[in-house]
Amino acid sequence: MMIQLVTTAQSVEQAEALIKAGTDRLYIGNSRFGLRQKGDWTNDAVREVTQLAHRYGKEVTVAVNNLMHNDHIQELPDYLQMLKAIGVDDVTAGDPGAIRLIRQAKIPYWYDAQTLVTSAKQIQFWGKREAIGAVVAREVTLEELVLIQQQIGLPVEVQVYGPTCIHHSKRPLVTNYFNELGRPSEEAKQREFYMSEPADAASRYPIYEDENGTHIFSEDLTLMGQLPTLVKNGLHTWKLDGWHAGEQFVEIVQLFTIARANLLNGQFDRIEMEHRLRELQPEAFRLGTGLLLRKPEEIK
Amino acid sequence: MKQRPELLAPAGNLEKLKMAIHYGADAVYIGGQQFGLRSRAGNFSYDEMREGVDFAHARGAKVYVAANMVTHEGDIEGAGDFFRTLRDIGIDAVIVSDPAMIETCLTEAEGLPVHLSTQASATNYETLRFWKEEGLERVVLAREVSMDEIVQMKQEVDVEIETFVHGAMCISYSGRCTLSNHMTLRDANRGGCAQSCRWKYGFFEEGNHLTEEMVARDEEPFSMSSVDLSMVRHIPDLVDAGVDSLKVEGRMKSIHYVATVCNVYRQVIDAYCEDPENFVFDPAWEEEIWKAAQRELASGFYYGIPTEKEQLFGKPRSIPQYAFAARVIAYDPSSGMATLEQRNHFSTGEEVEFFGPGFVRFSQIIETIEDVDGQQLESANQAMMTIRVKVEKPVATDYIMRKRKGVPMRVLA
Repeated sequence: MMIQLVTTAQSVEQAEALIKAGTDRLYIGNSRFGLRQKGDWTNDAVREVTQLAHRYGKEVTVAVNNLMHNDHIQELPDYLQMLKAIGVDDVTAGDPGAIRLIRQAKIPYWYDAQTLVTSAKQIQFWGKREAIGAVVAREVTLEELVLIQQQIGLPVEVQVYGPTCIHHSKRPLVTNYFNELGRPSEEAKQREFYMSEPADAASRYPIYEDENGTHIFSEDLTLMGQLPTLVKNGLHTWKLDGWHAGEQFVEIVQLFTIARANLLNGQFDRIEMEHRLRELQPEAFRLGTGLLLRKPEEIK
Repeated sequence: MKQRPELLAPAGNLEKLKMAIHYGADAVYIGGQQFGLRSRAGNFSYDEMREGVDFAHARGAKVYVAANMVTHEGDIEGAGDFFRTLRDIGIDAVIVSDPAMIETCLTEAEGLPVHLSTQASATNYETLRFWKEEGLERVVLAREVSMDEIVQMKQEVDVEIETFVHGAMCISYSGRCTLSNHMTLRDANRGGCAQSCRWKYGFFEEGNHLTEEMVARDEEPFSMSSVDLSMVRHIPDLVDAGVDSLKVEGRMKSIHYVATVCNVYRQVIDAYCEDPENFVFDPAWEEEIWKAAQRELASGFYYGIPTEKEQLFGKPRSIPQYAFAARVIAYDPSSGMATLEQRNHFSTGEEVEFFGPGFVRFSQIIETIEDVDGQQLESANQAMMTIRVKVEKPVATDYIMRKRKGVPMRVLA
């Protein structure tokens, strides 16, 4: 049984540390064609990290999952040719126009339309159009994830650690807010901000702006305690997002690598692993399970 | 002469469907009892759909059904039967966003045209090409697409384009917001949106390992609420770009809203398309649109990225609100008496405005109100009661009488 750890990476240096910590597939990209990528993934850096990963026998997935406007689409064929020449293993994509061009370029893709990927039948639709797997919406419960994986032959990616995007606006919402308050708006893109729910003052939702607009993240999700369920049900593609785990991210990936090994040899101790993850978690951010452990019928 | 785009209006129920068509809509979109995104909007039974389709087709208008839910496991059950029933009823197209639903419709209800919903965020010509090749007749664009991008799309791909021209807007890319799911356990993409974007949030920044409040209590809290869209002043651009259908948002909105908005856009579209060279925008159109406005209005993404001016911060600017006071159900030209069906309280001495299809409108004071037996009344205070009032100009069935909300504008004798 092959369980694949997919992790974000913010630099070539971090990528190497992540590979040593157990990453099987690096998930990188730039914000022109990908969504919410940290790190400066220039073409040269993509080439360097791909060569590095391949030396270790690991893979590289590049995010091409942006919502593409006409000008993106015009530039996309050249970018895809560049990725193909570098030899990246595959890409993620959710825009049907981008998928059309990716198929023409003969690059394998994971279907990733973010919040819109919610059923087996949708994934089958894209499977018939050459998708090699799917990134399922984080709003899909574990119970549903199991049902989805049972019905399809393609791998379904499950997020086991980190925040997920719960809002994407094309508007510069932080800049607009700063302008409204009369504060220097150039700070809107430089500093790290969080919003809290009116009914939950302790909640922290990271919010930031880039060239694609404004993005809001959920709390940090973790399925550490449910890894046995994932393994048992064939959910073998585990995504870890290090958006704000900072320097601890490599150690967190290491912990999931240990968890994977323990699961395979029957030594998984849930209490201990959850405890160790909490020790590594940055104190400003809660660890939660989002909607993952809800009953499907609880969500109206 | 220019090719007229379709004016597409929302219809939350049969009465709104009829009024929308009466007031100039070329097509309406409605919800069925399943697969929609407006669980709280009035949704049509199959019998009501039949009646709506008969009414619309008799007047050369079309009826579309929105079935734009993003389905989870189990939700899609029955979709094939649903689409086949709609086709057999004579529904002109369905508006769908979920690829599984699209596939179900194309394979199990052949002959029923499919329009891609704005929930699917179509933002480029290559995506239009994809859906055209899959067999879709029309694509409803994401609200984030600019006028220049539409022009380019029309040059690149021969598929019908529908865009929003009026109404409330998601502040996010439609479909790409699950604030409601995470904060209230209500799925925004399955009809449960709690409008979380319009809430007031705390705002923090990182410092010393903890997040610290950045905005003082007495400052404006963070919010993401958008003003509403109105393209009433820019119809010529949309016509020239070749947009096929101009869509008005609001299946949950009132009859007064639907009638007012359709009436105005009908005028603007006809005026421009009949004589583009001599077209002049009549300020009365905009004045009329404001009577149905619930928030401030702006042109969305058509001419640039919206700034803080297109978001609702602070106290909302007070927009005079108008209420649907009565509907005309009969008119006797010899006596000048109109028979009305009451919808909101009104009294003698109040100033009201009558309006009807073709942008007919006039204001007057209510001099007398009488009931069906000819008894004089001080006010019409019962819902749906039938009364008669004297009107100063001719009216017709389905004219609407509106009044300003709040303190009645009583004219003192």
